[in-house]
Amino acid sequence: MDEHPVRLVVEDDLRRNRLTVFFRLILAIPHLIWAFLWTIAVFFASIANWFVTLIAGRPATSLHGFMCSYIRYLLHLYAYLWLVANPYPGFVGEVGEYPIDIKLPPPAPQPRLKTLFRILLALPALALAGALGGSGGFGFTRSRSTRSYSYNSSGLGFVIAVLGWFASLVRGSMPKGLRDAGAYGLGYYAQAAAYTLLVTDRYPNADPTAILTDVASPPVHPVHLVGDAHDLRRSRVTVFFRLLLALPHIFWIVLWTIAAIVVSILNWFVTLFTGTPGAAFHRFLSRYVRYGLHLNAFIFLTANPFPGFTGTEGTYPLDLVLPPRARQNRWKTGFRVLLAVPAFAVNSALGGSLVLAAFFTWFVALIRGSAPWGLRNLSAYALRYGAQLNAYLYLLTDAYPHASPLEGAEPEQVHEAADIAA
Amino acid sequence: MTPRLAARSAIVAVLAAVWAISAYLLWQSKVPSSLHLPHLDPHAYFTNAELHAVASFARIEDLLFWATTVAQVAALVIYARFGARWARESAAGPLGTGMLLGMLGFALVWAVELPFGVVDLWWQRRHHISNVGYVAYLFGDWFGLGGEFVFLCFALAIVMGLARRFRQHWWIGAAPAFVGLALLFAFIGPYLTPTHRLQDPSLRAIARQLEVKEHTGHVPIDVEDVRDVTSLPNAEAMGIGPSRRVVLWDTLVDGRFTQPELRVVIAHELGHLARNHIWKAVGWYALFAFPGAFLIALATRRRGGMGQPAAVPVSLLVLVLLGLLALPLENAISRHREAEADWLALRTTHDPAAATALFRRFVPTTLDEPDPSTADYLLLENHPTIMQRIAMAKAYATSAAQSP
Repeated sequence: MDEHPVRLVVEDDLRRNRLTVFFRLILAIPHLIWAFLWTIAVFFASIANWFVTLIAGRPATSLHGFMCSYIRYLLHLYAYLWLVANPYPGFVGEVGEYPIDIKLPPPAPQPRLKTLFRILLALPALALAGALGGSGGFGFTRSRSTRSYSYNSSGLGFVIAVLGWFASLVRGSMPKGLRDAGAYGLGYYAQAAAYTLLVTDRYPNADPTAILTDVASPPVHPVHLVGDAHDLRRSRVTVFFRLLLALPHIFWIVLWTIAAIVVSILNWFVTLFTGTPGAAFHRFLSRYVRYGLHLNAFIFLTANPFPGFTGTEGTYPLDLVLPPRARQNRWKTGFRVLLAVPAFAVNSALGGSLVLAAFFTWFVALIRGSAPWGLRNLSAYALRYGAQLNAYLYLLTDAYPHASPLEGAEPEQVHEAADIAA
Repeated sequence: MTPRLAARSAIVAVLAAVWAISAYLLWQSKVPSSLHLPHLDPHAYFTNAELHAVASFARIEDLLFWATTVAQVAALVIYARFGARWARESAAGPLGTGMLLGMLGFALVWAVELPFGVVDLWWQRRHHISNVGYVAYLFGDWFGLGGEFVFLCFALAIVMGLARRFRQHWWIGAAPAFVGLALLFAFIGPYLTPTHRLQDPSLRAIARQLEVKEHTGHVPIDVEDVRDVTSLPNAEAMGIGPSRRVVLWDTLVDGRFTQPELRVVIAHELGHLARNHIWKAVGWYALFAFPGAFLIALATRRRGGMGQPAAVPVSLLVLVLLGLLALPLENAISRHREAEADWLALRTTHDPAAATALFRRFVPTTLDEPDPSTADYLLLENHPTIMQRIAMAKAYATSAAQSP
């Protein structure tokens, strides 16, 4: 596939200044006011640009430049707010002067039909950008008094900002996983904004590897995905009835979860006292975690076939590699649930994106009989993180879930990637 | 005749005899065999307008029944022929793949039946029988399908699990398992039905009197709120043992029926419990479950038996065809039970006039044909016809007048 014309550039070194981190939100106030004013101007300019593009078949050069500056400026500002970058950003969206930057295409002819329906076409991408950003994902809470359901969840960007704030204050640097996740969210936002504001007619691509092209992969996590990622074929019939077809599995996993909770409590005691999980417990919980991944991959349309009920390794196209039983740090074991709380927050935020990705994939797969590559990879990222969290929580490993959207790579591959980036 | 064949014939003969004796015992009824039901002319009880209205309603309902049945069978024939191809969409092993194929078969039937269901809803709404909105119907039907999927998977897990262990003899173990499930559902059914206690003190007092007369012991009388869904009046006896109860739909106690008529209804439902009709229904189910399961086992042999997922689409077709073939017999058994409950209600209340009034009122409120065609009678009527019920009330009145 061609490279997307909107390209994220990441030159951040992960170092953070504790003082500016501590006061980050207050420091950003002038920018927030400026961004608000700029957004009002962009609103009117985008209407003018839409008419120009519709009539002339290409955006006006001056308006195009204005939109590019706005997108770039917001990218810098969000990168600053989410702690994805360290320096205080400029106010005009300067090109190439910020560690998290964006390359935008020059004005080019655009099909008028796409332009005509641009705002409608952009809605799914904007919703996904919202879930990956700070405004929220999917989630429902029921209010007892009103018996109504409301939209109530934090987006990935917000969670990254909160967790990154604590981590940066303590360590003086941003965890790479969180930084990469934030950069991914920003990259997708930039693509969605560029599409909406007629900077390009290329639809945003949610594929993390395509957005984070010049970011080094993290080391391989002991819990990672394997399988044929390129099998995008989806059976329309099973897609249409997907949720209903999953019902027996949902009943089954509820029963299994009850057993898994009991076993994991026993396993916690065993691991705490002996330093190593019980062999039978480890096998049982490995199957449970793998089954959960198979089932979620089916429900969220990340894979096609109806999964088995036993979580057997090698039986599903999207499979999970889990580590063998090994010694674990007792401190980490003792406080496992508390330590998992930040990962829960990230997982919850990714869950919103996962639901949205599945929702859009459902329509696309019904029409085309295949899943979009970008959404498939976004879903795989969310599922991988969920599986890593489960493996951590159920004491299959003491390796903390890695929030980077990129698959892990062997050290030599990481070095090669770094060399290429350099 | 070889000894092996002779032994088989003897086993079959013994099983047939056991079946026949069981059926005979289950068929026993309190309705006097000498009771003669007079032939009554519907025009003597209903106005021409009423008869015209129910005939017009039934015409489309009959048409929809036949259209739905034909579409269902056609869909399942096609699915039995080609459905096994969907096995490639599964990574679940034989059992899970069988479940997937079973669910897809049901999904196909659902999709085929849906347009007829919508037309039926339109027809019922037009006649003020149903209050369900179209969107609610579509979503409700969708979620209902989910429940069917879960039960189907459970059933297939039992059948396929047994078939993989016992090959073609799976039906010997599966039939008792399903009878056990039927008993379980008969027991828990009342707990799954949202109801509330009957508030009307006079009706509760009537129910207590009837309990004593029918020797049922204490049976709670509950009310189920269905007004948002339908205007049809109905009542049912549910449960076994401690879960027994009589459930009246709120459409029955909304003022359209008089107290003597409601007395007949409660006596009828208590009659079901007094004569252990729910146990007997499970008994009948058991009598059909064994040969039914055997026939499915026989029909699926060419696809490798029920242990193989490829046999599942065929089994669905056979199941539906057997159900259709058994429908006249099932309806006859059901009518027989209902007639007995009617008779017990007459004997308990000694009020044939109220029973007649009740049955007459059913025609305008339910749009049931008082005297349907033979085909409708055999395939659709699981209660005696309105005219048969009125005739029984008349026969009771005559016999009561003649007795000293």
